[in-house]
Amino acid sequence: MTAVATPERASGRGLRAWLGAHPLAGYAIRRFGLYLLELWGAVTVAFFFFRMIPGDPIQTFIQTLQQNYVYNAQASAEVIARYRQEFGLDGNLFSQYLHYMYKVLVQQDLGPSLLNYPTPAQDVIMRAMPWTMGLLGIAAVLAWILGLLAGALAGWRRGKFGADLVTNLSIALSHVPYYFLALILTFVFAYQLNWLPARSAYDARLQPGFSLEFIASLLRYGLLPGLSIVVIGVFSWLLSTRMLMVPVLGEDYLTYAQAKGLRPRRILTRYALRNCYLPQVTAFGISLGFIFNGNVLVEQLFSYPGLGATLVQAIGILDFNTIMGITNLAIFSVLTANLILDLLLPLLDPRVKYWR
Amino acid sequence: MPDDALVEIKDLRVHYRTTQGDVPAVDGVDLTVRRGEILGIAGESGSGKSTLAVALLRLLRAPGYVAGGSIDFHPSGQPSVDLLAMDERRLRSLRWRSLSYLPQGSMNSMNPVMRVGEQFRDVILEHAPERRNQLATMVPRLLRQVGLDEGVVRMYPHELSGGMKQRVLMAMSIALEPDLVVADEPTTALDVTIQRVILQSLGDLRDEFGVTLVVISHDMGVHAQLVDRVAVMYEGKVVEVGDVRQVFKQPRHPYTRSLIESIPRIGEAPWRDEKRSPVA
Ligand SMILES: Nc1ncnc2c1ncn2[C@@H]1O[C@H](COP(=O)(O)OP(=O)(O)O)[C@@H](O)[C@H]1O
Ligand SMILES: [Mg+2]
Repeated sequence: MTAVATPERASGRGLRAWLGAHPLAGYAIRRFGLYLLELWGAVTVAFFFFRMIPGDPIQTFIQTLQQNYVYNAQASAEVIARYRQEFGLDGNLFSQYLHYMYKVLVQQDLGPSLLNYPTPAQDVIMRAMPWTMGLLGIAAVLAWILGLLAGALAGWRRGKFGADLVTNLSIALSHVPYYFLALILTFVFAYQLNWLPARSAYDARLQPGFSLEFIASLLRYGLLPGLSIVVIGVFSWLLSTRMLMVPVLGEDYLTYAQAKGLRPRRILTRYALRNCYLPQVTAFGISLGFIFNGNVLVEQLFSYPGLGATLVQAIGILDFNTIMGITNLAIFSVLTANLILDLLLPLLDPRVKYWR
Repeated sequence: MPDDALVEIKDLRVHYRTTQGDVPAVDGVDLTVRRGEILGIAGESGSGKSTLAVALLRLLRAPGYVAGGSIDFHPSGQPSVDLLAMDERRLRSLRWRSLSYLPQGSMNSMNPVMRVGEQFRDVILEHAPERRNQLATMVPRLLRQVGLDEGVVRMYPHELSGGMKQRVLMAMSIALEPDLVVADEPTTALDVTIQRVILQSLGDLRDEFGVTLVVISHDMGVHAQLVDRVAVMYEGKVVEVGDVRQVFKQPRHPYTRSLIESIPRIGEAPWRDEKRSPVA
């Protein structure tokens, strides 16, 4: 016993000494462990949550099949059982859960989709993802950059007429739901002026590909849904940035920078903005993660074939595999964005030292 | 103008707008800073010393405003100007090269996300871009001059102690050999031994660089140790100006007398008897 315990203790001490010498590595390991735990917890909660929605997707599915193929006979219990097994819906809830986790983790298989049987759920998701990422990703980046710059300026020039006008306008407009703005934009630019298309992601007459014509069509069709997200996003980023900016402007180091006779633009960027943009980086990372949820309302409104619209359809027919697939993607991206930001933050701000 | 005047403050009035109406914080101050001297500004807390300093440095912020007066500045080798009447762009070119500021080290005067070296670089390149090639030797030399290790260049402000911060600020304030350094409470919030060292280095700055110093402190002991002349402020007015020994020996204003009596003294008189006393 003693002979075994001694080297163990020694190696334990060695590890502790190593972690003592590499505090950042220790922090990263702990943070990564937490990340895995969060992933597991969130996926588990989501799994049981969705399975609690009442209804039997297989019965509905069989009925649809019967209607479409004009089956007269009742589906045999055998057929139903086979489908149940294929969709991972046989056995009790707990064994379904174990089966699902095994398929996802070990075989990297999300199961077949019901929306588009027998296409696998991951294919359904991968088909919708580029649309959502293209539309929401670009919109989110644009809104963040514009909002941050506008907010910094609005804070910097506070008390001046133009800056305060923009601020008050933002307070009013940031509470307008983006779908309301989307409706107004559609009404004006699509129906009244007839300048831009109101639905879909590209001109159906065109062949998708890397042609100039197709890309131009993508931009034209994406403009209205994109704009409605960007505009509202800019206003809310503007307000939050301004709110972070104003107290920084009262700091001693800003007075000192002015005493040094630095250029106003340098004071604004390197002294003021540099000291207030970190919370915005974090918030942005998290909002990027949420992109994978899709933007249900905007996608529905514009018939945009993204993840949000797919999720709504999947919930409509209780396509558990697709629902869980999209949910897992969202969970994974939000938590991963958080993990990366937490590991990155000590590099962005010298004062951040979580691992102490 | 007297030949040796560097700054002439004339009938300066600075008010703060408050909900209770205007508060005069500097109320008709006339004061001359002579080239090469260390002028002390004494007075209890709230007597208007800092307000005078920020007005002189043109760093006054709302709700403060200048209600009247002028501040004539005669930088060496440049035309004289009224600091209060200058536009900010022209003023910017005078800043740090001619008119520099030494704040209290316990304030957050340094940008928390920039290394000390970068903060030197920032101001040197702004006003003296021709010194870009000398930066690597210049900054360590400045730091050594105030008794700091050159490794401080790579440190962030939060890694420095109060005394170290005060020294970094001191080194920064003389980086471009200005005509005038305005120091507001440069030793306040430091412990006594470090106070002594800082006072010594401030004296050295004048001796080595020939800068003119305005040193603001509520602590009469600081004035006794460091300054040549002292101006005593009371409720926004300068009630007495004179040679520091004269003022200590024969205070004319009863307020000055009470200030002097408030310094704890151990046996001897608190002011130095020689030009440079060996402190610390
Ligand atoms: N921002 C401000 N708003 C209103 N009153 C102020 C402000 N700053 C200073 N004062 C007032 O001006 C007077 C002088 O203050 P200050 O110049 O800071 O004095 P000191 O530096 O001698 O302690 C005080 O009565 C103070 O209350
Ligand atoms: Mg003060």
